[in-house]
Amino acid sequence: MAKQTPNASPWKTAEEVAKALQLTSDEKYELPDSIVQELKDSNAWAIYIDNESKSVIWHTDNLPKTVPMSYTLSDIVSLTRGYIEGYPTFTGKGKNGLVVLGYPKDSFWKHMWPSWDYHTIANLPKTVLTVFIINAALIFLIYMVANSKLLKSIKPIVNGIQSLPTGEPVYVKEKGLLSELAMNINKTSEILQSQKNQLRRKETARANWIAGVSHDIRTPLSMVMGYASQLKEDTNLTDDERQKATVILKQSQRIKNLINDLNLASKLEYNMQPMNVKSENMIAIVRQVIVDFINMDIEDTHPIELEMDEDLSVCPVKVDKALIKRAVSNLIQNCINHNEKGCKIYVSVVAENNQCTVTVADDGIGVTDEQLKKLNNTPHYMICDENTTEQRHGLGLLIVKQIMAVHGGTTVIDHSSYGGFLVKLALPLES
Amino acid sequence: MDFQYLKNKRLLLVDDEHELLDMLVSILKEEGFNHIVTARTVKEALDLADSFQPELAILDVMLPDGNGFSLMEQLKHKGEYPILLLTARGEDEDKLRGFGLGADDYIVKPFLPKELIFRIMAILRRCYKDENPLVKLQNSEIDFDRAEVIKDGEHLPLTAKEYDILNVLYRNAGRIVTIDALCEAAWGDNPFGYENSLMAHIRRIREKIELNPSKPVSLITIKGLGYKLIVGGK
Repeated sequence: MAKQTPNASPWKTAEEVAKALQLTSDEKYELPDSIVQELKDSNAWAIYIDNESKSVIWHTDNLPKTVPMSYTLSDIVSLTRGYIEGYPTFTGKGKNGLVVLGYPKDSFWKHMWPSWDYHTIANLPKTVLTVFIINAALIFLIYMVANSKLLKSIKPIVNGIQSLPTGEPVYVKEKGLLSELAMNINKTSEILQSQKNQLRRKETARANWIAGVSHDIRTPLSMVMGYASQLKEDTNLTDDERQKATVILKQSQRIKNLINDLNLASKLEYNMQPMNVKSENMIAIVRQVIVDFINMDIEDTHPIELEMDEDLSVCPVKVDKALIKRAVSNLIQNCINHNEKGCKIYVSVVAENNQCTVTVADDGIGVTDEQLKKLNNTPHYMICDENTTEQRHGLGLLIVKQIMAVHGGTTVIDHSSYGGFLVKLALPLES
Repeated sequence: MDFQYLKNKRLLLVDDEHELLDMLVSILKEEGFNHIVTARTVKEALDLADSFQPELAILDVMLPDGNGFSLMEQLKHKGEYPILLLTARGEDEDKLRGFGLGADDYIVKPFLPKELIFRIMAILRRCYKDENPLVKLQNSEIDFDRAEVIKDGEHLPLTAKEYDILNVLYRNAGRIVTIDALCEAAWGDNPFGYENSLMAHIRRIREKIELNPSKPVSLITIKGLGYKLIVGGK
């Protein structure tokens, strides 16, 4: 490769040489040494063609032999455009002639016929811009296609991932770029579904087990209740002995209620309690519960009073009658259980603010503020916590809360203005 | 009480636990029932039914060689008498099945003996009332067959509504019956809004059965809840 000179343009060099050529005293031309060196460094030679004789009147020492010494007009034309004998040539205008520089054969390439259609060149900027725009558009198109293809394969994956937490089975087609990812998503979905099923089976098994155990308790309990009841009525016994029998009877009834509550609580907890929802009159339900208690009341230690607006005869609600009866019944039983020495129980039914509110209150012992806070804030699901020393039953209230929750109603526990305990149940009125 | 004729009825008890059977017999005997036989399997029950000809059967739902429901069906083929089912399962489903197949009542263990006796008496009264049609109240008598009240030798007819109301009260004699239950008995499926009518009918009934309608001793009011019919001289 030709060695690069500081002034890299051969045309400029040619001009320089033309200017620097001096006629010496003895009618000879001479180049300053610096330029001679420059030419040597580039491996270039130079000739000076006289205007009149059209022959070479001076040349550098390294002129190749094949370079002609005289030129015709067409030779000049040729060398101006391109080459002499394969050497790329560059011309410079001298005082009386033409300086021609010749460079090594493979150092420069020159176009021999450099002319183009005028309009093509005139339109070149426009043409270039158009080509550029088309290229850009093509690139953009390719980008969009590739992108959309990618998006298309990503979209189902994204949808799959977003559907996983819903708990529904998810399936993404396992093909394309992200097939492995799709496979993993599908596997995850399978695992989630299987876990869900296992949990469901466990819950069902547990509820059934509880039902079975409570079932087995009932027959022995019947006998306890039966004989205790007889002993209570037996006039051959002393008053003391009959009193003991009364206690046995009362306690066995408590056990009965506990079993029923346990069974129901587990069913409600695991959503295994079938609901039979119908339009009912809440007042009728409350009345029946109270009447059942009075009809069964062993001693008259817990009188129950129904407080109601005289004009209110119907409180329409959409409920499962048996469950609501159970809830109200549990509340009344609670008052009885917590006030062994006896108390008065007040039940009221009120319709206001589009709600039907049933309140069960007593004038008994009541609870402390702290206990009240705990009762109101205990989560209504069953907890099996071995670390707690507190009594975790209170099954009766738990069931009430569960039953209200399942009906879309609310439970509020408070102090009663009568001095004891109060529970307020609210259900939406049926329009 | 004048229900001794009912207590002479023949009772068949079927349960696989003999201690429970013993207890039932004990309760019933104490109450005055004097014709009781027991069985512990379906087979035993069927054999006894043929020879004993019961007038009321009390069956446990779970038996070692079958279940109470199928036994009930078989007994019904042999004779017409009321059947009471005893069970440890409180499911509503079972209750409905029991009633659907023709059980007359259903009691869930554990039960108070009082409750059992009440239900047995109620069934017996319902099924065998022809034999003693008059219901004795403190100051009058009710003849349900003729739908009339007999007071001081006078025969006072009962209207249809009065009959329905008295009937429910009588079937639950000694217990409170709610206003709603009475309205339902008299006015059927849509018993709302009839409380005032009910009060009017009660008043008219009292005029017929009581000595002093303003101070009732047989048909008493439990404020806000319902009414109670007191039978006999008690």
